[in-house]
Amino acid sequence: MSNTTLGKPHRSDPADVSSSIYDVVIVGAGVSGAIIANELSQTGFRVLILEAGPGHDLTIPGYEQYLSRFYASASKDNNAPYPRNRNAPMPRSTDVRRLQPGEPDASGYIVQNGPLALDSTYTRVVGGTTMHWEGKALRMLPEDFEMRTRFGRGLDWPISYEQLAPYYRKAEFELGVSADVEDQAYHGIRFDPGYVYPMRGIPASYLDKTVARGLNGAEVTLRGEKFALTVRGTPQARNGVPNPRYDGGKGYVPVGAVSVEQVEQGERCQGNNNCVPICPVQAKYHAGKTLVKALATGRVKLLPQAVASKVVIDPGNGRVRHIEFKAYSDPGSTEHATGIARGRVFVLAANAVENARLMLASDLPGTSNLVGRNLMDHPFLLTWGLMPEITGTLRGTQSTSGIQDLRGGAFRRHQAAFAVSIHNDGWSWATGSPYSVLADIVDRQNQFGAALRRRLVDQVSRQLQLAFMVELLPDQNNRVTVDARYTDPLGNLRPVISYGLSDYTLDGIAYSRRLSRLIFQRLGVEDHTTYDPLDYAYVSYKGEGYTVRGGNHWAGTHIMGTSAKDSVVDGAQRSWDHENLYLVGAGSMPTTGTSNTTLTLSALSFLTAERIRGELDQDRSPATIAAA
Amino acid sequence: MHADQAEFQDFLSLSSVVTGFTAFQLQGTGQAESYFSTLIDILGEATVAALLQVFRRVQRETGEDAAALDRLLRAAIFSDEKLGPIARNLIKLWYVGTWYPLPAAWREAFGELEKDTTFVVSPAAYTEGLLWPAIGANPAGAKGPGYGTWSAPPRIPEV
Amino acid sequence: MSLKRITTLDELHNYLHAAMQLEHATIPPYLTALYSIQPGTNSAAFHVLRVVVVEEMLHLTLAANILNAVGGAPDLAREGFVPLYPAYLPDGETDFEVGLQRFSREAVETFLRIERPARSSEESQRLVRRQRVDRGLLPTFRAEDDSDLHFYSIGEFYQEIGRGLAYLQEEKAKSGETLFSGDPARQITPDYYYSGGGEIIPVSNLETAQEAIRLISEQGEGFGKRIYDYEGELSHYYRFQQLVLGRYYRKGDAPDHPSGGPVDVDWDAVYPVKTNACLADYPQPSELHAAAVEFNARYKDFLGRLTQAFSGRPELLLDAVGDMFRIRETASQLMRNPIPGTSGLNAAPTFEMPLPTET
Ligand SMILES: Cc1cc2nc3c(=O)[nH]c(=O)nc-3n(C[C@H](O)[C@H](O)[C@H](O)COP(=O)(O)OP(=O)(O)OC[C@H]3O[C@@H](n4cnc5c(N)ncnc54)[C@H](O)[C@@H]3O)c2cc1C
Ligand code: SF4
Repeated sequence: MSNTTLGKPHRSDPADVSSSIYDVVIVGAGVSGAIIANELSQTGFRVLILEAGPGHDLTIPGYEQYLSRFYASASKDNNAPYPRNRNAPMPRSTDVRRLQPGEPDASGYIVQNGPLALDSTYTRVVGGTTMHWEGKALRMLPEDFEMRTRFGRGLDWPISYEQLAPYYRKAEFELGVSADVEDQAYHGIRFDPGYVYPMRGIPASYLDKTVARGLNGAEVTLRGEKFALTVRGTPQARNGVPNPRYDGGKGYVPVGAVSVEQVEQGERCQGNNNCVPICPVQAKYHAGKTLVKALATGRVKLLPQAVASKVVIDPGNGRVRHIEFKAYSDPGSTEHATGIARGRVFVLAANAVENARLMLASDLPGTSNLVGRNLMDHPFLLTWGLMPEITGTLRGTQSTSGIQDLRGGAFRRHQAAFAVSIHNDGWSWATGSPYSVLADIVDRQNQFGAALRRRLVDQVSRQLQLAFMVELLPDQNNRVTVDARYTDPLGNLRPVISYGLSDYTLDGIAYSRRLSRLIFQRLGVEDHTTYDPLDYAYVSYKGEGYTVRGGNHWAGTHIMGTSAKDSVVDGAQRSWDHENLYLVGAGSMPTTGTSNTTLTLSALSFLTAERIRGELDQDRSPATIAAA
Repeated sequence: MHADQAEFQDFLSLSSVVTGFTAFQLQGTGQAESYFSTLIDILGEATVAALLQVFRRVQRETGEDAAALDRLLRAAIFSDEKLGPIARNLIKLWYVGTWYPLPAAWREAFGELEKDTTFVVSPAAYTEGLLWPAIGANPAGAKGPGYGTWSAPPRIPEV
Repeated sequence: MSLKRITTLDELHNYLHAAMQLEHATIPPYLTALYSIQPGTNSAAFHVLRVVVVEEMLHLTLAANILNAVGGAPDLAREGFVPLYPAYLPDGETDFEVGLQRFSREAVETFLRIERPARSSEESQRLVRRQRVDRGLLPTFRAEDDSDLHFYSIGEFYQEIGRGLAYLQEEKAKSGETLFSGDPARQITPDYYYSGGGEIIPVSNLETAQEAIRLISEQGEGFGKRIYDYEGELSHYYRFQQLVLGRYYRKGDAPDHPSGGPVDVDWDAVYPVKTNACLADYPQPSELHAAAVEFNARYKDFLGRLTQAFSGRPELLLDAVGDMFRIRETASQLMRNPIPGTSGLNAAPTFEMPLPTET
């Protein structure tokens, strides 16, 4: 590996960049951009990546700065390790407040237009949101691609599970997924014969095993359909034991920490229980791992601290002429220079919210007027209680297993499907445990010394939290827009989001609550779930109240489809309106089923890279040049 | 080592009683001196000295009698309007390395203190918090216990 | 113990046991230096030491694999397996001290000597006749005339193992047998062992055995006078040297001339632990003493668990990793506690085992 470029991405003069024409200009150094940059640079193309955030991240000391900021931060929210950056602001869950009807809340970076306040986040640094993602890497179900046809709900994809399957395999390699194939073939998920994941499944936690003992085989009936519940290992993009059978017996070598200097670390998950917001040893995949490979080709220029501000179109042919960006040298100061990035092909990989924001800020709502619309996320319902025995909370990765049996079924005609994860980190997400428990024991239960210690064990080490990740269908009223009243310090328009839940999803949420009661009853779990009506995420439905958290799975703002009328991009994520423009990432997904989005969006990136390569190749051939 | 060795030893003994960890374990976090100076920094020497003085008296009066110690500590410190909140904060400081602001009532009665805000004493204060060993876990994001260890039953130290 | 030229299987077993003992013997000194670093400081040194410790564990495991492959039974829990420190390693004509000390310039000097032992230039110098020190880590060599000789350095010791393996295998082959008749189920495979750099090699024949020996003896100092070993990994010697020279090596650098980014070392951000501390240094009874005793007991359990792992239960290596976590916690606690009566010296694990009889 050539180590000269990585680690210290050149921050060259924007003018320098503006004077070159790249084969491909990519906006965003997250996983979707990184994969495309790597795929194309490996085959000889010259790539420019504009990245809004800072880029000191590819060195161990740089990475450790994040870690130390996280340690020293009193609020351990999921953006805690990352410095506030006025010029490329990011949403933080701690910014979210209860909304008053009709009054947008503009106090955080994202302007919340309601009706429901959404506390999902993303990260704007090199590596993007994978710096703090959790790393769950489940494939979508085949039926998720055909929601309209099969269930009369949502939309169909223009491509099928079968068509995406080869790219899923590439994504599972790139992200380094640990799972056992025999656990993952359910609800129609098919693998090629002989296929195994790169690494064996991450061992189930002691809590998982205890829950499984009480629960496996339990039967539930939903709208007449019977489902047997099983606790199942979750595929995860973190390093485990390599499977020697991978790739026809060639095996797999885990990718550890990214660094300029030789540092072996992160080849295997150590159970730091901190994948979100930052894995201290880089056992968890983050896009930096793909970026260093791309940078090592010598054909990729990564320009950090360059915020894409406008997509400029040639009115004659609708092609993108260039992308305007604002380059700043100090995150604390808005002083900046404006540059332009020119290329043959342009790729927006800034995530579902930022892609739409950038298009709308460039006044490009699309022929279909669907840019920004169909915003999706996965609403989460948390339920929590105390196990009858000590299972040892806060050990291992945040979640190692879940219950996937209700991800699919005929009931999807009527109500949302959901996936359940069992949390090894206890009630952290729901209640702020263990900090909140400590405060309660000390301040309210008036305990100290040995009694305090015993209560802590009793009240923390028995915690069980179930997270129900509920399907949300595309809905044109859920959307990202921009509004001239709201700009960031660089003068870029901020995203304004409108977000609400349909009855379809609310029925899924209500059923999740019911199922969690059944599970708790069966396990003898003492239910401690309460939803505070004053919480910003509180919703009432059919006489019961729930707190619905954001799932950080922003999607759907530039959905793919079969024509320029019904969608923004085609099945290869190419813009219908601008033939040299691709909008990539979860924004292209017409539905997201009950899969965390990243594996699927990574698969799509591979597919798109192949398509772009084909086009550039053709474009390069003398015949085409002559014709043009 | 801190200037006033005796005061520091008293601070350790008090900390040991309120946290339920031994003086050896407290020193073993490497944070004892930094917490002692943090306390003085926030509250001032006089208040810290007063707290330790009450503690010494309690200790003298109770000797080896644990039940009496418990009772007297509650009477003289935990239910004292001034010292109680400080002692509770001291526990939290040791457990999670974080200073939380004193209650509003305290500030009203005894005055605002400039440094009485929420802060983590240092990155190490977080990783060396007592909360983690108390529940047989590692601080999230540090001291990873090793691949697969989560599969085994927890090992929680007896108290 | 003294060893003879390898002509019998028994003698080979003795050598391989000695090799395991030797590979283990560097771990306590490295751990002591590693744990003495204050958290959040000396990132570069921390990472170098961590990798080296992990790889010494790998060497130990490789030696166990060879021993198992030739029908031996590794035993790390037996008396005398852990040396008393300071111990000594040969460096040509002299021995040098290997002790338990905090991370410091002197400690790094010692580590450099451990990782790059002197090389004898001539075959005749593989063994030298000289005064034996007490606590030498390498067994002596019993010559034909019954006099005690010394290996010139560790390299010569491994050379003899390599030669012995080849010789015995050839002898066995004459009668249609194989030296490598050990139970394959006792091999540690990559499933259960991972390390940063080199991979564990399951040993099943002469080829894999020689490969394992090469990994053990070359990971330290690199391969063919280059800074990288034959697996393309920066060798231990040059990793440590980065700390002294204050710069990282990068690919293509010539030995002694690193050209990478700066390495910051803060020699003062280290707990002032007593060098070669022993239980007798700690007042009794005291929590400090009790913790030091407990540390040794845990370390002994750890070695016991490794022994079981090397005896057909490789899955126990996962537990051994968990043991290391607890070992580290106790070690850190000791190192942050002052030893009463010394002015400003802190305690440290003593690694005395078996525990000296208490008086
Ligand atoms: C707490 C949390 C947990 C998650 N857990 C999971 C999980 O377990 N499984 C899963 O599948 N997914 C998970 N996700 C979602 C996952 O992180 C995202 O799906 C994924 O990272 C998206 O990748 P991306 O490359 O499309 O976008 P991003 O990772 O967001 O990258 C976009 C990049 O573009 C840059 N950028 C933005 N605007 C501009 C601009 N104007 N100009 C230049 N650059 C710009 C950003 O700085 C960023 O680097 C989680 C997310 C969060 C927040
Ligand atoms: S559990 Fe820890 S080591 Fe494993 S991936 Fe998560 S943060 Fe990294």
